[in-house]
Amino acid sequence: MNFLALIGASDNDILGKLGSDIAKLWRDAAPQYLRGARDTLILAVVATAVGCLIGLFCGILQTLTYSKNDLFIKKAIIWVVKIIVRVYVEVFRGTPMILQAVFIYFGLPYLTANSLRFDVITAAYVVVSINTGAYMAETVRGGILSIDRGQTEGAMAIGMNHFQEMVKVVLPQTLRNIIPQIGNNLIINVKDTSVMFIIGYAELFAAHKAYVGATYLYFPSALVTMVIYLIMTVVCSLLLRLWEHLMDGPENFNLATTDSLALTSGMNNYPRGRRKRRAAR
Amino acid sequence: MSELILNINHLSKSFGKNEVLKDIDFTVSQGEVISIIGASGSGKSTLLRCINLLETPTSGEILYHGVNILDRHVNAPKYRSHVGMVFQSFNLFNNMTVLKNCMIGQTTVLGKNKAEAKENAMRYLENVGMAPYVNAKPKQLSGGQKQRVAIARAMAMDPEILLFDEPTSALDPEMVGEVLQVMKKLVDEGMTMLVVTHEMAFAKEVSSRVVYMNDGVICEEGTPEDIFDNPKREETKNFLARFRNTTQEV
Repeated sequence: MNFLALIGASDNDILGKLGSDIAKLWRDAAPQYLRGARDTLILAVVATAVGCLIGLFCGILQTLTYSKNDLFIKKAIIWVVKIIVRVYVEVFRGTPMILQAVFIYFGLPYLTANSLRFDVITAAYVVVSINTGAYMAETVRGGILSIDRGQTEGAMAIGMNHFQEMVKVVLPQTLRNIIPQIGNNLIINVKDTSVMFIIGYAELFAAHKAYVGATYLYFPSALVTMVIYLIMTVVCSLLLRLWEHLMDGPENFNLATTDSLALTSGMNNYPRGRRKRRAAR
Repeated sequence: MSELILNINHLSKSFGKNEVLKDIDFTVSQGEVISIIGASGSGKSTLLRCINLLETPTSGEILYHGVNILDRHVNAPKYRSHVGMVFQSFNLFNNMTVLKNCMIGQTTVLGKNKAEAKENAMRYLENVGMAPYVNAKPKQLSGGQKQRVAIARAMAMDPEILLFDEPTSALDPEMVGEVLQVMKKLVDEGMTMLVVTHEMAFAKEVSSRVVYMNDGVICEEGTPEDIFDNPKREETKNFLARFRNTTQEV
Protein backbone atom coordinates (compact mmCIF):
# COMPACT_ATOMS: atom_id res chain seq x y z
CA MET A 1 0.00 0.00 0.00
CA ASN A 2 1.66 3.18 -1.12
CA PHE A 3 1.40 6.58 0.44
CA LEU A 4 -0.65 8.21 -2.35
CA ALA A 5 -3.24 5.49 -2.24
CA LEU A 6 -3.50 5.97 1.49
CA ILE A 7 -4.17 9.67 1.07
CA GLY A 8 -6.53 9.13 -1.87
CA ALA A 9 -8.48 6.42 -0.16
CA SER A 10 -8.94 8.18 3.10
CA ASP A 11 -9.51 11.56 1.36
CA ASN A 12 -13.01 10.65 0.27
CA ASP A 13 -13.88 9.42 3.69
CA ILE A 14 -12.52 12.54 5.38
CA LEU A 15 -14.27 14.91 2.98
CA GLY A 16 -17.47 12.97 3.36
CA LYS A 17 -17.25 13.16 7.12
CA LEU A 18 -16.44 16.84 7.01
CA GLY A 19 -19.42 17.45 4.74
CA SER A 20 -21.83 15.67 7.02
CA ASP A 21 -20.38 17.38 10.10
CA ILE A 22 -20.83 20.80 8.51
CA ALA A 23 -24.33 19.92 7.41
CA LYS A 24 -25.19 18.90 10.97
CA LEU A 25 -23.61 22.02 12.36
CA TRP A 26 -25.53 24.23 9.95
CA ARG A 27 -28.82 22.50 10.76
CA ASP A 28 -28.21 22.94 14.48
CA ALA A 29 -26.70 26.38 14.74
CA ALA A 30 -26.92 28.39 11.52
CA PRO A 31 -28.92 31.22 13.18
CA GLN A 32 -26.30 31.59 15.94
CA TYR A 33 -23.46 31.81 13.42
CA LEU A 34 -25.33 34.25 11.21
CA ARG A 35 -26.33 36.40 14.17
CA GLY A 36 -22.70 36.34 15.30
CA ALA A 37 -21.54 37.35 11.83
CA ARG A 38 -24.05 40.20 11.78
CA ASP A 39 -22.93 41.49 15.20
CA THR A 40 -19.27 41.19 14.19
CA LEU A 41 -19.88 43.18 11.04
CA ILE A 42 -21.91 45.90 12.74
CA LEU A 43 -19.32 46.26 15.50
CA ALA A 44 -16.46 46.40 13.00
CA VAL A 45 -18.14 48.93 10.70
CA VAL A 46 -19.39 51.22 13.46
CA ALA A 47 -16.13 51.07 15.43
CA THR A 48 -14.06 51.72 12.30
CA ALA A 49 -16.24 54.72 11.42
CA VAL A 50 -16.03 56.14 14.95
CA GLY A 51 -12.31 55.32 15.01
CA CYS A 52 -11.84 57.23 11.77
CA LEU A 53 -13.51 60.28 13.28
CA ILE A 54 -11.33 60.04 16.39
CA GLY A 55 -8.28 59.54 14.18
CA LEU A 56 -9.19 62.46 11.95
CA PHE A 57 -9.59 64.70 14.96
CA CYS A 58 -6.33 63.56 16.60
CA GLY A 59 -4.45 63.67 13.30
CA ILE A 60 -5.50 67.29 12.78
CA LEU A 61 -4.52 68.18 16.34
CA GLN A 62 -1.10 66.66 15.81
CA THR A 63 -0.44 68.77 12.71
CA LEU A 64 -1.42 72.07 14.34
CA THR A 65 1.32 74.65 13.98
CA TYR A 66 2.06 77.96 15.57
CA SER A 67 4.31 80.79 14.50
CA LYS A 68 6.68 82.61 16.78
CA ASN A 69 4.36 85.60 16.71
CA ASP A 70 1.58 83.70 18.48
CA LEU A 71 0.74 84.32 22.10
CA PHE A 72 2.41 82.14 24.71
CA ILE A 73 -0.90 80.73 25.92
CA LYS A 74 -1.75 79.48 22.41
CA LYS A 75 1.63 77.80 22.08
CA ALA A 76 1.24 76.18 25.51
CA ILE A 77 -2.22 74.83 24.71
CA ILE A 78 -1.08 73.37 21.40
CA TRP A 79 1.89 71.77 23.12
CA VAL A 80 -0.23 70.16 25.86
CA VAL A 81 -2.86 68.94 23.39
CA LYS A 82 -0.17 67.30 21.26
CA ILE A 83 1.26 65.49 24.29
CA ILE A 84 -2.16 64.19 25.30
CA VAL A 85 -2.77 62.88 21.79
CA ARG A 86 0.64 61.20 21.70
CA VAL A 87 0.08 59.46 25.02
CA TYR A 88 -3.34 58.23 23.85
CA VAL A 89 -1.85 56.88 20.62
CA GLU A 90 1.07 55.17 22.32
CA VAL A 91 -1.06 53.53 25.04
CA PHE A 92 -3.79 52.19 22.80
CA ARG A 93 -1.47 51.15 20.00
CA GLY A 94 0.98 49.63 22.41
CA THR A 95 -1.28 47.29 24.41
CA PRO A 96 -3.34 44.30 23.23
CA MET A 97 -6.99 45.05 22.53
CA ILE A 98 -8.03 42.01 24.55
CA LEU A 99 -6.49 43.56 27.68
CA GLN A 100 -7.99 46.96 26.86
CA ALA A 101 -11.38 45.23 26.82
CA VAL A 102 -10.64 43.71 30.20
CA PHE A 103 -9.57 47.09 31.52
CA ILE A 104 -12.68 48.92 30.31
CA TYR A 105 -15.19 46.20 31.21
CA PHE A 106 -13.74 44.83 34.46
CA GLY A 107 -11.13 47.43 35.42
CA LEU A 108 -13.28 50.57 35.42
CA PRO A 109 -15.92 49.16 37.81
CA TYR A 110 -13.12 47.76 39.98
CA LEU A 111 -11.29 51.08 40.18
CA THR A 112 -14.39 53.23 40.66
CA ALA A 113 -16.19 50.93 43.08
CA ASN A 114 -18.84 50.14 40.47
CA SER A 115 -19.82 53.76 39.90
CA LEU A 116 -18.53 53.65 36.33
CA ARG A 117 -19.45 50.52 34.41
CA PHE A 118 -20.40 49.75 30.83
CA ASP A 119 -22.63 46.96 29.66
CA VAL A 120 -20.99 44.40 27.36
CA ILE A 121 -22.16 45.92 24.09
CA THR A 122 -21.15 49.48 24.97
CA ALA A 123 -17.79 48.30 26.30
CA ALA A 124 -17.09 46.42 23.05
CA TYR A 125 -17.96 49.44 20.91
CA VAL A 126 -15.90 51.77 23.09
CA VAL A 127 -12.80 49.54 23.10
CA VAL A 128 -12.72 48.82 19.38
CA SER A 129 -13.45 52.47 18.48
CA ILE A 130 -10.75 53.87 20.74
CA ASN A 131 -8.26 51.28 19.58
CA THR A 132 -8.97 52.01 15.91
CA GLY A 133 -8.80 55.73 16.66
CA ALA A 134 -5.22 55.37 17.90
CA TYR A 135 -4.13 53.68 14.68
CA MET A 136 -6.11 56.09 12.51
CA ALA A 137 -4.55 59.10 14.27
CA GLU A 138 -1.18 58.05 12.91
CA THR A 139 -2.64 57.18 9.51
CA VAL A 140 -4.27 60.60 9.22
CA ARG A 141 -1.10 62.33 10.37
CA GLY A 142 0.85 60.49 7.69
CA GLY A 143 -1.84 61.31 5.14
CA ILE A 144 -1.69 65.01 5.94
CA LEU A 145 2.12 65.03 5.79
CA SER A 146 2.01 63.33 2.40
CA ILE A 147 0.07 66.21 0.82
CA ASP A 148 2.42 68.48 -1.09
CA ARG A 149 3.27 71.71 0.74
CA GLY A 150 2.26 73.56 -2.42
CA GLN A 151 -1.37 72.67 -1.80
CA THR A 152 -1.41 74.44 1.56
CA GLU A 153 0.56 77.36 0.18
CA GLY A 154 -1.90 77.69 -2.67
CA ALA A 155 -4.72 77.77 -0.12
CA MET A 156 -2.90 80.25 2.11
CA ALA A 157 -2.17 82.50 -0.86
CA ILE A 158 -5.86 83.00 -1.60
CA GLY A 159 -6.45 83.91 2.02
CA MET A 160 -7.76 80.72 3.60
CA ASN A 161 -7.13 80.21 7.31
CA HIS A 162 -5.78 76.96 8.74
CA PHE A 163 -9.24 75.48 9.27
CA GLN A 164 -10.46 76.28 5.74
CA GLU A 165 -7.22 74.96 4.24
CA MET A 166 -7.70 71.68 6.07
CA VAL A 167 -11.39 71.21 5.32
CA LYS A 168 -11.43 72.33 1.69
CA VAL A 169 -8.02 71.31 0.38
CA VAL A 170 -5.90 69.03 2.55
CA LEU A 171 -8.39 66.63 4.15
CA PRO A 172 -10.28 65.69 0.98
CA GLN A 173 -6.96 64.68 -0.58
CA THR A 174 -5.83 62.99 2.63
CA LEU A 175 -9.06 61.03 2.83
CA ARG A 176 -8.59 59.76 -0.70
CA ASN A 177 -5.04 58.67 0.07
CA ILE A 178 -5.86 56.87 3.32
CA ILE A 179 -8.81 54.82 2.04
CA PRO A 180 -6.54 51.76 1.66
CA GLN A 181 -5.55 52.19 5.31
CA ILE A 182 -9.17 52.59 6.39
CA GLY A 183 -9.80 49.34 4.54
CA ASN A 184 -6.96 47.70 6.43
CA ASN A 185 -8.41 48.81 9.72
CA LEU A 186 -11.90 47.68 8.82
CA ILE A 187 -10.68 44.23 7.86
CA ILE A 188 -8.49 43.96 10.93
CA ASN A 189 -11.50 44.96 13.02
CA VAL A 190 -13.75 42.34 11.41
CA LYS A 191 -11.26 39.70 12.53
CA ASP A 192 -9.97 41.17 15.77
CA THR A 193 -13.36 41.86 17.29
CA SER A 194 -13.17 38.12 17.99
CA VAL A 195 -11.22 38.98 21.14
CA MET A 196 -14.39 40.59 22.53
CA PHE A 197 -15.51 37.09 23.58
CA ILE A 198 -13.37 37.80 26.67
CA ILE A 199 -16.03 40.17 27.98
CA GLY A 200 -18.84 38.03 26.60
CA TYR A 201 -19.79 40.01 23.49
CA ALA A 202 -21.72 37.59 21.29
CA GLU A 203 -20.03 37.88 17.91
CA LEU A 204 -19.07 35.23 15.36
CA PHE A 205 -16.15 33.78 17.31
CA ALA A 206 -18.32 33.55 20.42
CA ALA A 207 -20.86 31.57 18.36
CA HIS A 208 -18.08 29.20 17.33
CA LYS A 209 -16.91 28.77 20.94
CA ALA A 210 -20.43 28.16 22.19
CA TYR A 211 -21.07 25.53 19.54
CA VAL A 212 -17.84 23.57 20.00
CA GLY A 213 -18.34 23.67 23.75
CA ALA A 214 -21.56 21.73 23.22
CA THR A 215 -20.62 19.32 20.44
CA TYR A 216 -16.84 18.88 20.12
CA LEU A 217 -17.04 19.45 16.33
CA TYR A 218 -14.07 21.73 16.76
CA PHE A 219 -12.47 21.72 13.31
CA PRO A 220 -15.66 21.80 11.17
CA SER A 221 -16.90 24.74 13.20
CA ALA A 222 -13.56 26.53 12.87
CA LEU A 223 -13.67 25.99 9.10
CA VAL A 224 -17.19 27.37 8.80
CA THR A 225 -16.25 30.35 10.97
CA MET A 226 -13.18 31.01 8.86
CA VAL A 227 -15.16 30.96 5.63
CA ILE A 228 -17.72 33.37 7.06
CA TYR A 229 -14.91 35.71 8.14
CA LEU A 230 -13.38 35.50 4.67
CA ILE A 231 -16.67 36.30 2.96
CA MET A 232 -17.13 39.35 5.19
CA THR A 233 -13.62 40.68 4.61
CA VAL A 234 -13.73 40.16 0.85
CA VAL A 235 -17.05 41.98 0.60
CA CYS A 236 -15.62 44.83 2.70
CA SER A 237 -12.58 45.11 0.52
CA LEU A 238 -14.64 45.14 -2.69
CA LEU A 239 -16.87 47.89 -1.32
CA LEU A 240 -13.82 49.95 -0.38
CA ARG A 241 -12.39 49.60 -3.87
CA LEU A 242 -15.70 50.83 -5.23
CA TRP A 243 -15.55 53.83 -2.89
CA GLU A 244 -12.04 54.68 -4.06
CA HIS A 245 -13.18 54.46 -7.66
CA LEU A 246 -16.11 56.78 -7.00
CA MET A 247 -13.88 59.33 -5.26
CA ASP A 248 -11.50 59.47 -8.21
CA GLY A 249 -14.25 60.70 -10.50
CA PRO A 250 -14.27 60.37 -14.27
CA GLU A 251 -10.94 60.14 -16.06
CA ASN A 252 -12.04 62.18 -19.04
CA PHE A 253 -13.76 65.50 -19.32
CA ASN A 254 -15.75 67.18 -22.06
CA LEU A 255 -14.17 69.97 -23.97
CA ALA A 256 -16.51 72.58 -25.39
CA THR A 257 -14.13 74.11 -27.91
CA THR A 258 -10.41 74.05 -28.47
CA ASP A 259 -7.90 76.14 -26.55
CA SER A 260 -6.94 79.17 -28.58
CA LEU A 261 -3.71 80.00 -26.74
CA ALA A 262 -1.98 76.63 -26.56
CA LEU A 263 0.06 75.27 -29.43
CA THR A 264 -1.35 71.82 -28.81
CA SER A 265 -5.02 71.17 -29.18
CA GLY A 266 -5.45 70.16 -25.56
CA MET A 267 -6.01 66.82 -23.96
CA ASN A 268 -9.71 66.27 -24.27
CA ASN A 269 -9.11 62.55 -24.40
CA TYR A 270 -6.56 61.34 -21.93
CA PRO A 271 -6.75 57.56 -21.70
CA ARG A 272 -5.02 56.18 -18.66
CA GLY A 273 -6.83 53.05 -17.48
CA ARG A 274 -6.30 49.63 -18.99
CA ARG A 275 -9.93 49.54 -20.03
CA LYS A 276 -9.57 52.70 -22.10
CA ARG A 277 -6.46 51.50 -23.87
CA ARG A 278 -8.11 48.27 -24.84
CA ALA A 279 -11.07 50.18 -26.21
CA ALA A 280 -8.78 52.31 -28.33
CA ARG A 281 -7.16 49.30 -29.92
CA MET B 1 2.58 109.80 -7.97
CA SER B 2 0.01 107.05 -7.61
CA GLU B 3 -0.93 105.52 -4.31
CA LEU B 4 1.64 103.52 -2.39
CA ILE B 5 0.46 99.94 -1.76
CA LEU B 6 3.49 98.32 -0.16
CA ASN B 7 6.33 99.95 1.69
CA ILE B 8 9.02 97.55 2.88
CA ASN B 9 11.57 98.81 5.39
CA HIS B 10 14.76 97.12 6.60
CA LEU B 11 13.42 93.64 5.81
CA SER B 12 15.72 90.76 6.76
CA LYS B 13 15.22 87.04 6.66
CA SER B 14 17.54 84.32 7.88
CA PHE B 15 17.21 80.56 7.66
CA GLY B 16 19.34 79.53 10.63
CA LYS B 17 22.70 81.17 10.12
CA ASN B 18 22.07 81.70 6.44
CA GLU B 19 21.06 85.32 5.87
CA VAL B 20 18.95 85.31 2.72
CA LEU B 21 17.60 88.86 2.76
CA LYS B 22 19.67 91.71 4.16
CA ASP B 23 18.04 95.00 5.05
CA ILE B 24 15.76 95.34 2.03
CA ASP B 25 13.97 98.64 1.36
CA PHE B 26 11.40 98.49 -1.36
CA THR B 27 8.12 100.09 -2.42
CA VAL B 28 5.28 99.15 -4.73
CA SER B 29 2.79 101.73 -6.02
CA GLN B 30 -0.55 101.28 -7.72
CA GLY B 31 -0.22 100.26 -11.36
CA GLU B 32 3.49 99.46 -11.26
CA VAL B 33 4.86 96.36 -12.96
CA ILE B 34 8.08 95.43 -11.22
CA SER B 35 10.37 92.65 -12.42
CA ILE B 36 12.79 91.16 -9.93
CA ILE B 37 15.75 89.53 -11.62
CA GLY B 38 18.90 87.93 -10.27
CA ALA B 39 20.75 84.67 -9.98
CA SER B 40 19.33 81.63 -8.19
CA GLY B 41 19.77 81.95 -4.46
CA SER B 42 19.89 85.74 -4.53
CA GLY B 43 16.74 85.96 -2.41
CA LYS B 44 14.19 86.97 -5.06
CA SER B 45 11.68 84.27 -4.24
CA THR B 46 12.19 84.69 -0.50
CA LEU B 47 11.41 88.39 -0.83
CA LEU B 48 8.20 87.56 -2.68
CA ARG B 49 7.26 84.91 -0.13
CA CYS B 50 7.91 87.32 2.72
CA ILE B 51 5.61 89.86 1.10
CA ASN B 52 2.84 87.24 1.10
CA LEU B 53 3.79 86.08 4.62
CA LEU B 54 4.48 82.55 3.42
CA GLU B 55 7.80 83.16 5.19
CA THR B 56 7.98 85.13 8.40
CA PRO B 57 10.67 87.81 8.09
CA THR B 58 13.30 87.86 10.82
CA SER B 59 13.14 91.62 11.21
CA GLY B 60 11.92 94.77 9.49
CA GLU B 61 8.45 95.87 8.54
CA ILE B 62 6.09 95.50 5.62
CA LEU B 63 3.58 98.35 5.46
CA TYR B 64 0.43 97.62 3.49
CA HIS B 65 -1.40 100.92 3.10
CA GLY B 66 0.52 102.09 6.13
CA VAL B 67 -0.31 99.10 8.36
CA ASN B 68 2.54 96.82 9.38
CA ILE B 69 1.35 93.33 8.47
CA LEU B 70 4.03 91.72 10.63
CA ASP B 71 2.20 93.02 13.66
CA ARG B 72 0.72 90.22 15.77
CA HIS B 73 -2.78 91.73 15.62
CA VAL B 74 -2.96 91.72 11.82
CA ASN B 75 -5.13 89.00 10.33
CA ALA B 76 -2.67 87.34 7.93
CA PRO B 77 -5.23 85.34 5.90
CA LYS B 78 -7.30 88.47 5.34
CA TYR B 79 -4.23 90.36 4.15
CA ARG B 80 -3.28 87.51 1.81
CA SER B 81 -6.71 87.62 0.21
CA HIS B 82 -5.79 91.10 -1.12
CA VAL B 83 -2.46 89.91 -2.48
CA GLY B 84 -2.62 87.31 -5.24
CA MET B 85 0.19 84.85 -5.80
CA VAL B 86 1.12 82.69 -8.77
CA PHE B 87 3.60 79.91 -8.01
CA GLN B 88 6.31 78.27 -10.04
CA SER B 89 4.71 74.87 -9.49
CA PHE B 90 1.13 76.16 -10.04
CA ASN B 91 -0.23 74.73 -6.76
CA LEU B 92 -3.72 74.19 -8.13
CA PHE B 93 -5.95 72.23 -5.78
CA ASN B 94 -5.75 68.67 -7.07
CA ASN B 95 -9.10 67.67 -5.61
CA MET B 96 -11.08 70.28 -7.53
CA THR B 97 -11.98 71.02 -11.13
CA VAL B 98 -10.66 74.09 -12.90
CA LEU B 99 -13.87 75.99 -12.20
CA LYS B 100 -13.94 74.98 -8.53
CA ASN B 101 -10.32 76.07 -8.16
CA CYS B 102 -11.33 79.55 -9.26
CA MET B 103 -14.47 79.62 -7.11
CA ILE B 104 -13.33 78.21 -3.78
CA GLY B 105 -11.52 81.32 -2.57
CA GLN B 106 -14.41 83.56 -3.47
CA THR B 107 -16.96 81.41 -1.67
CA THR B 108 -14.96 80.51 1.45
CA VAL B 109 -12.85 83.62 1.95
CA LEU B 110 -14.80 86.45 0.36
CA GLY B 111 -18.19 84.98 1.24
CA LYS B 112 -19.67 85.38 -2.23
CA ASN B 113 -22.57 83.19 -3.26
CA LYS B 114 -22.02 80.41 -5.78
CA ALA B 115 -23.67 82.06 -8.79
CA GLU B 116 -21.68 85.24 -8.35
CA ALA B 117 -18.43 83.32 -7.82
CA LYS B 118 -19.05 81.20 -10.89
CA GLU B 119 -19.77 84.22 -13.07
CA ASN B 120 -16.61 85.93 -11.85
CA ALA B 121 -14.51 82.76 -12.27
CA MET B 122 -15.80 82.25 -15.81
CA ARG B 123 -14.89 85.80 -16.73
CA TYR B 124 -11.27 85.30 -15.70
CA LEU B 125 -11.06 81.80 -17.16
CA GLU B 126 -12.24 83.24 -20.46
CA ASN B 127 -9.59 85.92 -20.16
CA VAL B 128 -6.84 83.32 -19.90
CA GLY B 129 -8.38 81.11 -22.57
CA MET B 130 -9.23 78.27 -20.19
CA ALA B 131 -13.02 78.53 -20.24
CA PRO B 132 -13.36 75.32 -22.30
CA TYR B 133 -11.61 73.36 -19.56
CA VAL B 134 -13.86 74.18 -16.61
CA ASN B 135 -14.59 70.51 -15.89
CA ALA B 136 -11.00 69.29 -16.10
CA LYS B 137 -8.97 68.30 -13.06
CA PRO B 138 -5.46 69.80 -12.79
CA LYS B 139 -3.79 66.47 -13.60
CA GLN B 140 -5.48 66.49 -16.99
CA LEU B 141 -3.91 69.79 -18.05
CA SER B 142 -0.55 70.76 -19.50
CA GLY B 143 1.82 72.97 -17.51
CA GLY B 144 0.98 76.11 -19.43
CA GLN B 145 -2.72 75.49 -19.01
CA LYS B 146 -2.30 74.90 -15.28
CA GLN B 147 -0.43 78.16 -14.90
CA ARG B 148 -3.12 80.06 -16.78
CA VAL B 149 -5.76 78.57 -14.46
CA ALA B 150 -3.58 79.59 -11.50
CA ILE B 151 -3.53 83.16 -12.80
CA ALA B 152 -7.31 83.10 -13.20
CA ARG B 153 -7.65 81.72 -9.68
CA ALA B 154 -5.54 84.54 -8.26
CA MET B 155 -7.37 87.20 -10.32
CA ALA B 156 -10.79 85.89 -9.29
CA MET B 157 -10.01 87.08 -5.75
CA ASP B 158 -9.86 90.63 -7.11
CA PRO B 159 -6.41 91.26 -5.63
CA GLU B 160 -4.82 94.66 -5.36
CA ILE B 161 -1.46 93.32 -6.36
CA LEU B 162 -0.38 90.10 -8.02
CA LEU B 163 2.89 88.33 -7.13
CA PHE B 164 4.47 85.97 -9.66
CA ASP B 165 7.14 83.57 -8.41
CA GLU B 166 8.97 82.41 -11.55
CA PRO B 167 5.71 81.62 -13.31
CA THR B 168 7.32 80.12 -16.41
CA SER B 169 10.33 78.33 -14.94
CA ALA B 170 8.63 74.95 -14.64
CA LEU B 171 7.20 75.03 -18.14
CA ASP B 172 8.29 73.39 -21.35
CA PRO B 173 9.61 76.03 -23.77
CA GLU B 174 6.63 75.88 -26.10
CA MET B 175 4.27 76.73 -23.23
CA VAL B 176 6.12 79.77 -21.93
CA GLY B 177 4.62 81.98 -24.61
CA GLU B 178 0.99 81.33 -23.68
CA VAL B 179 1.60 82.26 -20.04
CA LEU B 180 3.58 85.40 -20.88
CA GLN B 181 0.81 86.42 -23.28
CA VAL B 182 -1.73 86.19 -20.47
CA MET B 183 0.53 88.19 -18.17
CA LYS B 184 1.00 90.87 -20.81
CA LYS B 185 -2.76 91.17 -21.02
CA LEU B 186 -2.89 91.81 -17.27
CA VAL B 187 -0.25 94.52 -17.60
CA ASP B 188 -2.33 96.21 -20.30
CA GLU B 189 -5.35 96.13 -17.97
CA GLY B 190 -3.32 98.10 -15.41
CA MET B 191 -2.80 95.33 -12.85
CA THR B 192 -0.13 96.01 -10.22
CA MET B 193 2.37 93.18 -10.57
CA LEU B 194 5.55 91.98 -8.94
CA VAL B 195 7.26 89.38 -11.12
CA VAL B 196 10.26 87.27 -10.19
CA THR B 197 11.45 86.01 -13.54
CA HIS B 198 14.27 84.77 -15.73
CA GLU B 199 12.47 85.94 -18.89
CA MET B 200 14.62 88.98 -19.61
CA ALA B 201 12.90 89.92 -22.86
CA PHE B 202 9.56 89.91 -21.07
CA ALA B 203 10.94 91.93 -18.15
CA LYS B 204 12.38 94.49 -20.53
CA GLU B 205 9.21 94.82 -22.55
CA VAL B 206 6.52 95.11 -19.89
CA SER B 207 8.14 96.36 -16.67
CA SER B 208 7.84 99.86 -15.37
CA ARG B 209 10.72 99.13 -13.02
CA VAL B 210 13.36 96.40 -12.84
CA VAL B 211 15.06 95.30 -9.63
CA TYR B 212 18.31 93.37 -9.75
CA MET B 213 18.97 91.33 -6.61
CA ASN B 214 22.32 89.85 -5.71
CA ASP B 215 23.29 88.00 -2.56
CA GLY B 216 20.31 89.11 -0.48
CA VAL B 217 20.41 92.80 -1.28
CA ILE B 218 18.85 94.99 -3.94
CA CYS B 219 21.93 95.70 -6.01
CA GLU B 220 20.42 98.02 -8.58
CA GLU B 221 16.98 99.19 -9.60
CA GLY B 222 15.62 101.43 -12.31
CA THR B 223 13.69 101.52 -15.57
CA PRO B 224 14.19 98.60 -17.96
CA GLU B 225 16.37 100.85 -20.10
CA ASP B 226 18.55 101.72 -17.08
CA ILE B 227 19.09 98.13 -16.09
CA PHE B 228 19.29 96.34 -19.42
CA ASP B 229 20.97 99.00 -21.57
CA ASN B 230 23.03 101.02 -19.09
CA PRO B 231 23.67 98.97 -15.99
CA LYS B 232 25.78 100.96 -13.52
CA ARG B 233 26.98 98.25 -11.16
CA GLU B 234 29.61 95.70 -12.06
CA GLU B 235 27.49 92.79 -10.67
CA THR B 236 24.54 93.74 -12.86
CA LYS B 237 26.73 93.88 -15.95
CA ASN B 238 28.19 90.47 -15.18
CA PHE B 239 24.80 88.92 -14.56
CA LEU B 240 23.31 90.26 -17.77
CA ALA B 241 26.37 89.31 -19.79
CA ARG B 242 26.15 85.77 -18.51
CA PHE B 243 22.51 85.76 -19.43
CA ARG B 244 23.08 86.91 -22.99
CA ASN B 245 25.65 84.18 -23.50
CA THR B 246 23.48 81.37 -22.24
CA THR B 247 20.03 82.14 -23.60
CA GLN B 248 18.76 82.82 -27.05
CA GLU B 249 17.01 86.03 -27.90
CA VAL B 250 13.28 85.64 -27.59
